[in-house]
Amino acid sequence: MAKTVMITDDTAFMRMTLKNVIEKNGYTVVAEAADGEEAVALYKEFKPDMVTMDITMPKMDGITAIKEIMKFDPTAKIIVCSAMGQKPMVIEALSAGAKDFLVKPFDAERVVESLRKISS
Amino acid sequence: MSSEAKLDFLKELANIGTGHATTALSQMLGGRLFQLVVPDAQMLPFSEAAEYIGGLEQLVAGIFIVVSGDVGGHMAFLIPFDSAMVLVKLLTGDDSGEMNELALSALQELGNIMITSYLNALSKMTDFLMAPSVPGVAVDMAGAVWESVLAGAEVTNEVTVIRTEFFADGESIEGNIIFLPDDDDFKKIARVLGLGEM
Amino acid sequence: MTEVFVNMGEISAFKTQGILTTVGLGSCIGVTLYDAVEKVGVMGHIFLPRSRPKDKDALPGKYADTGIPAMIEEAVKLGARKSRLKAKMAGGANLFPNLTTNSTSIGQQNIEAVAENLKKHGIAIIGKDVAGGHGRKMRFFVETGVVTVTAIGKEAVEI
Repeated sequence: MAKTVMITDDTAFMRMTLKNVIEKNGYTVVAEAADGEEAVALYKEFKPDMVTMDITMPKMDGITAIKEIMKFDPTAKIIVCSAMGQKPMVIEALSAGAKDFLVKPFDAERVVESLRKISS
Repeated sequence: MSSEAKLDFLKELANIGTGHATTALSQMLGGRLFQLVVPDAQMLPFSEAAEYIGGLEQLVAGIFIVVSGDVGGHMAFLIPFDSAMVLVKLLTGDDSGEMNELALSALQELGNIMITSYLNALSKMTDFLMAPSVPGVAVDMAGAVWESVLAGAEVTNEVTVIRTEFFADGESIEGNIIFLPDDDDFKKIARVLGLGEM
Repeated sequence: MTEVFVNMGEISAFKTQGILTTVGLGSCIGVTLYDAVEKVGVMGHIFLPRSRPKDKDALPGKYADTGIPAMIEEAVKLGARKSRLKAKMAGGANLFPNLTTNSTSIGQQNIEAVAENLKKHGIAIIGKDVAGGHGRKMRFFVETGVVTVTAIGKEAVEI
C-alpha cells in the first residue's frame, strides 16, 4: 500500500524537489504546507502517514509545528529536512518527537531511506 | 588585538565557513567541483563597503538572513545576475533566462543553504547557536541590495566583510558571502577560540 | 560635463553646471536641494534617520537630522539662498519586506525623517519617487534643475 506524505517547506523550489523524489519512489504526496501553521492544519485534515518538516519558516517554525502535531497525534511520523543542522536544534527537534533529522542539502536516496525506515 | 590579527581571524572563519557552504553548493548541483578563491576579509570605511563587491549598478540577486542566538549578526549572499541564471538552470532545468517565481524560489533556497551551512560550521567550532531567519530575496542593483543589508544591520562606521569568490569548472559562477557579525558577538567568538581579548 | 557620484553618507554640490548622480538607492534616500536663481544644486545620500552617539566620526550626510543642515550649508557656500531652496527626494524602498521586524521599515523611517527635517528648515518638497520594493538611480542636472529617477527595467521618470 502506497504511503501518504505531507511536505512542509517555505520554499516552492524545495517542495517541488522533494515531491519529485518522493513520488518517484512510490509514495503519494497528499498535501504541501508552506509554513508550520499550514502544516498543522493540513495534518489534521489529511492525516498523512508521514511528514517532512522544515525548521526555519514564517508564521510558525518547524519545532513548534512538530509539537502541535504530536499533541494531536502522538503516533505522527515526522522527518525534519532543514539546512539548520546545529546540535541544539537537532536535539530539540528529536525531543519534540521527530523521528529523523536530515540536513540540507541531502541526496534523494537519503530522504527515501529515511521514509522507508520510519514507515516500517 | 591588532587590526591585522583581527583580519587574520576573520579570514580563518571565512575559510571554515565557506568551505562548508561550497560543499553544500556542490552537492546541490550534482557534485560539480568548485574552486574557492582565498577568502578575503576587510574592514572597510562605510562609504567604500558597497563598491567593494562590484559595481553599484550591476544587477544582482541577493539573499539576506538575520542571525540570532548566542551570536547575532547579518549575512548576505550576493550573486551577479548572469551567474544567478546559470545556477537557476542547474537547479531547475529552466534555461529560459527568466527570473520567474520558481527561479527566485530556487535562489532563495540556495542562499538559505549556503548561509546556513556557513553558520553550521561556525557553530560547530564555537558551540554557539547561530540561528538563521527566514531568508529575504531581492533582484536589483547591487548598491540598493547592499545598502538595504547594511541598513538592516545598522552598521555604523566600519563594515567588517568576509568575502569569498568561487568558480565552477566549465561554468562561470561567482558569488559573495557577506558576514556582518554584531560587534560584541564577534568578540565572543574570538574569546571562545582562544584569541584573547579584542 | 562633469558627473560626480554621491555615495552613502556623502554630499556634493555644483553651481551652474554638472551632474550629480547616486546609484543604488535601496532603503536610503537621495535628496536634492536647488536654488533655481543661482543654479546651485546639492545632493545627499541619506542612510539612516537619526544620528547615533556611538558613531561620532560619521559623515554628517549619513543621517537625515545632520544631513539636511549640512546640505543647506554646502548650498549656501556656493551662493544659494536658503529661502529659495527647493527639495526633491527618491528612495526609501523596502527590498526585503519579509524581514522587516519593526512595524515601519528603515526605508519608510528614512522617508519620514527626511521630510520632517526639510520641513523643520522650511524647505518645500517639489518632487518625489519613494517607497516600493525596488532600487533607484537618481540624476540631478544642475544647469536645469531637472532630476530623473530610474529603476531596473523601467524608463527614467522626471520628478
